[in-house]
Amino acid sequence: MTSFASFDDGRCSVHILRTAQFHTRHIHVKMTRPMRREQVTATALLPYLWMEGTGEHPSALELTRRSEALFGTVLQTAIGKRADRHVVEVYAGMPESAAEPDTLYKEVLELVWQVILNPATEGGVFPAGHVERQRSLHQKRIASVLDDKIQYAYERCLEEVSRDGPEALPRFGFVDDLETCTPTRLWQVYEDFLREARVHVYLVGPFADAKAEAERVLRLLHKAFPGAPDTFSPVHPLSPQGADERRVVEEQAVMQGKLNLGLRTGMAYADASYPALLVANGILGGFPHSKLFRNVREKNSLAYYASSRLDALTGVVSIQTGIEVSRYEQALAIIREQIEDLRNGRVDEQELEYTKLGLRNQYRVMLDQPMTMADLHFTGVLAGHPRPIEQLLHEIEQVSREQVIQAAESWQVDTVYFLKGRVQASA
Amino acid sequence: MRETLIESLGVTLYEETLDNGLHVALLPRPGFQQVFVTLTTRFGSTDQTVDVPGRGEAWVVPDGVAHFLEHKMFDMPTGDVFADFAKHGAAANAFTSFEQTTYLFSCTEDLTENTRILLDYVQTPYFTDASVEKEKGIIGQEIRMYDDNPDWRCFFGLLQCLYQRHPLRIPIAGTIESIAQIDTDLLYRCYETFYHPGNMLFFAAGGFDPAALLEVVRENQAGKAFPDCPRVERNLPTEPVGIRQGRNVAQLGVSQARCLIGWKDGQTGLAGAELLRQELLTGVILDTLFGRGSDFYHLLLDEGLIDQHFSWEYEASNSYGYTLLGGNTTDVDTLVGRVDETIESVIRKGLSAEAFERNVRKAMGRFVLGFDSPSGIARNYTAYWVKGVDWLDSLAVLNSLTLEEAQQRLAEHLVPELRAVSVIEPVSIATGA
Repeated sequence: MTSFASFDDGRCSVHILRTAQFHTRHIHVKMTRPMRREQVTATALLPYLWMEGTGEHPSALELTRRSEALFGTVLQTAIGKRADRHVVEVYAGMPESAAEPDTLYKEVLELVWQVILNPATEGGVFPAGHVERQRSLHQKRIASVLDDKIQYAYERCLEEVSRDGPEALPRFGFVDDLETCTPTRLWQVYEDFLREARVHVYLVGPFADAKAEAERVLRLLHKAFPGAPDTFSPVHPLSPQGADERRVVEEQAVMQGKLNLGLRTGMAYADASYPALLVANGILGGFPHSKLFRNVREKNSLAYYASSRLDALTGVVSIQTGIEVSRYEQALAIIREQIEDLRNGRVDEQELEYTKLGLRNQYRVMLDQPMTMADLHFTGVLAGHPRPIEQLLHEIEQVSREQVIQAAESWQVDTVYFLKGRVQASA
Repeated sequence: MRETLIESLGVTLYEETLDNGLHVALLPRPGFQQVFVTLTTRFGSTDQTVDVPGRGEAWVVPDGVAHFLEHKMFDMPTGDVFADFAKHGAAANAFTSFEQTTYLFSCTEDLTENTRILLDYVQTPYFTDASVEKEKGIIGQEIRMYDDNPDWRCFFGLLQCLYQRHPLRIPIAGTIESIAQIDTDLLYRCYETFYHPGNMLFFAAGGFDPAALLEVVRENQAGKAFPDCPRVERNLPTEPVGIRQGRNVAQLGVSQARCLIGWKDGQTGLAGAELLRQELLTGVILDTLFGRGSDFYHLLLDEGLIDQHFSWEYEASNSYGYTLLGGNTTDVDTLVGRVDETIESVIRKGLSAEAFERNVRKAMGRFVLGFDSPSGIARNYTAYWVKGVDWLDSLAVLNSLTLEEAQQRLAEHLVPELRAVSVIEPVSIATGA
């Protein structure tokens, strides 16, 4: 079986991949709601607070030891962001080699529910000690976005591109909000979140009866997450603004300049033209045979990395390069030339063919990576347009040169972002 | 073709050494779409002095030459090899580490064609002056990228404290100055010395038929002629017992200080099963003392001294070994003091049998979880092969570890005289236009 079977009840869904292919059994819970400025920081703290302890395992240490004692089960929580949605995630992965894998699975599933639904409390709210510890860690979490300059430049550029919308909110929230994140307020946000969130549970393993397992899990979910299906609208792409492009320059203590471009395409996952958009981005910068790699790196030796990536939900194409600061104008001109060539149809059959094959390989590899498959499935859920991998593979194969050019026609360079070193006294 | 069934994992390893000396090892994971294929030579950043008896004097290569050669192997007389892989839907790459250079691809179709492309390009040296010069700009930017990477800088800062002469101190990509010395002659000489099939491993993991894949490799190799395999002597400088310096400090544009505390391993010279045992044993000890399930980790989180990036690592080969641990910290000296106290106290009171046992089971579980990743299997198998270690024995070795040997190892390895600290301090960060 190569796709998830989905079962829904109200605002909860269980997606099961029944397979005996893997050594790992996976449970991945993804809970989502639209990002809001006033709750963004508190919501981002929730998954970390959950790992501080449960009613039964009331400290982070005890909770960690409990999962590790279950044959080295990996138990993690995280905060994610997809377009304008906050995604609170809980993941557990356990070895099928355990003496009784089905029993282990039930124990781990129980632990996952405890983490979400029965966190440790003190006077009916999160314990003050837990909150204090996570507030302090969260401050560092937010600050450390600066430490990885490639990632920093990528996120800053995206933030500029989506400047006015909720998509621009950082997934960790803001340091200034931490003061107001008291145990009581966090508990209110937690209850709000449970009341409102759309819940998706992904299960991967050799289940005897997928339907029976899904129904069993849905019954558990229904008690905790009652209510009708959500009214959240599907996620929409950012549309080109027609305004002049913006240039943003930032200075930091760095050796290498990071030149990033953010393009709005106005298309995304739910569009019929999405496969053509994927191919267009691939031709521009998805592979070592792509225009950016060949021209910025191989032909002109300007960079070690030069690539582009497409955000499936916002439809933003992000170009990333690391260059010598003094070569900024030259690099920018070459990058623009590649975009123009693509838009003007200077795409040969070979580029088209190689890119389609490269994408085909990427999606086929996903069939070995059930958690990546779950992410793709989740993208379809958020966009309101599921595309099974087989369908996507077929659609990519059908993409014509004309469709690629058409998909690239409306692209608009929205932001040119440059992170450069401080001006230093020359010798 | 030799078959070894690893019952606890339900996998079989197929092996054969071809007539030209190339070792082929195949680990099928039936049902997987992907095949991850690697071709590895024992030539890495620590091969600084090259000595081939009977072929003149030993010579010293500029820092970063193994990595430079890796980049230039992708050029072919017919053009760029990325295009050949792209034609068959494969994703190709390569990497260089201390003791190896590995060329790799992953594909879900056209395995035969892709395998031939891999073997042919790695066995076709083709360097021109112009392309070598051009590569210096590209690798220069790769070096600049590492210059801005705090993890990388902190790590090499530590190795430079621990080692006085061992070429482990050398940054893998070299420096902009050292790679300026590289030319085509040097690349050809290195190629001829290190890229003989007798010095190499072909390894694949994923969904494929082992007999058919072996036949593709065998047939391809049978069509090529090679001279005798040069016998390369690894003349490492004699490394003194002690460390070079106790501390190294660098400044970078990061949000907070980070530090790595490292110990040089006095117990070197191990190989094979003994080396694997030492690695796994040390890993379990470190996890017990400093892992996510340790008292230490949670206590220091409570105190705000560390954050969730805190981690540990042990790495060893025949000629070196080191433990390192650390991450972001609010106070380097207090952190170092707390680590010392913890080690001292555990040596005195003894490791907890319960915790040791729990962490052995955890390591076994985590090893099994890794078997769902063909790329992870390939990276581990090849890295251990280079060291002469059979990584697939790990479960059996883990299962046989004892508390007594852990106690002894702990006391011998984590000694204050062989400890150093590498620090990255934040410089103030100006933002805005």
